[in-house]
Amino acid sequence: MLLLQRSARGDRAAFRALYDQWGRRLYGIALRITRQPSLAADATQDAFVQIWQQAQRFDPARGSAEAFLVSLVRYRALDVVRRQSRETPGYEPVEQEDETPDALTRLVSSAEGVALHRCLGLLDAERRRLVVMAFVDGLSHSELSSHLNVPIGTVKSWIRRSLLSLRECLAS
Amino acid sequence: MLAAEYVLGTLEGSDAREAVRLLRDDPVFAAAVHAWEERLAPLALSAPPAVPPPELWDRIAIATGAEVTPLPARRRLRFWQASTGAALAIAASLAGFILLRAPSAPLVAVLAPLNGGVPLLIATAEADGTLNVQPNKIVSVPSDHDLELWALPQGETHPRSLGVLPVAGRRLTAPLPRGTELLVSLEPRGGSPTGAPTGPVLYGGRLAALN
Repeated sequence: MLLLQRSARGDRAAFRALYDQWGRRLYGIALRITRQPSLAADATQDAFVQIWQQAQRFDPARGSAEAFLVSLVRYRALDVVRRQSRETPGYEPVEQEDETPDALTRLVSSAEGVALHRCLGLLDAERRRLVVMAFVDGLSHSELSSHLNVPIGTVKSWIRRSLLSLRECLAS
Repeated sequence: MLAAEYVLGTLEGSDAREAVRLLRDDPVFAAAVHAWEERLAPLALSAPPAVPPPELWDRIAIATGAEVTPLPARRRLRFWQASTGAALAIAASLAGFILLRAPSAPLVAVLAPLNGGVPLLIATAEADGTLNVQPNKIVSVPSDHDLELWALPQGETHPRSLGVLPVAGRRLTAPLPRGTELLVSLEPRGGSPTGAPTGPVLYGGRLAALN
């Protein structure tokens, strides 16, 4: 993406345009993981500061700008929310209704999204839900285990098998 | 699989620390992480976009060392307060601004493809509950299909149908609060048979105040 590469060269107008283009989506991702607007804003701020400082690490030959931006904000949001749960004993992430069908419906608006949607569709419903809750809602192995009332070892092996079949399906 | 689980974000404790160490020291592991980031990125974008707090850009700009100029709206407001006795001409020049800030100002949503791209529809929600959805560009729909408009109020998880959306646009009565997300899905002719979107969600945007 041109804007990301221009930001890497210190172009403030491009950086602002990048914020206008991506701010709502990255904040949405962070909000879904942190469940709190102030934490989501912190994570989004950190991600954009990193974009400004480290965008030169983005190599279009190696990957998409989309994955670069999405990963930055997800890792920041996961950091923020894990730190929060460590520092606040008894902190429980807000219970959320299962939004899986909704999340999957939204996937189908890009070619990559269509492929991933198809491959997720091949998993059985409970394992698919596990992958979506982990990736989109940011739940850890132990959170998934208590949320779904399944032993942690089972959660881990279900996730591993789901990821393997996703990799296989996406490669075909 | 550690790379995949790292990207998924489920690792804790020593596993998480080990993944961070490998990411730094092991190029093969780092490449596996990048490959998983590529594979799963579209799923992260399935989280609904949300409007960040208005001061977020200023915070980012300050944190990245930019000099931040005050928002034009604030500057004009101060000017307005400082010159209440001034000529009507000033009041007239500010009238547009005041209208925009009035409580009865319409909310606007720009409906664009969810993964980015050119906005295709503009929705305006008036204070009296009128919702007007107009195409910004020519929208074409495959035969035997209709577009259907949905409203997803903030904090809710299931969109409510606002009915079929003709490609020429539509005016309807639907009082919607700020922050409601409007979505357009592709449905069989006549609209979704189930009351929930059954086809792909093509466009979406959130109702926000103009500023």
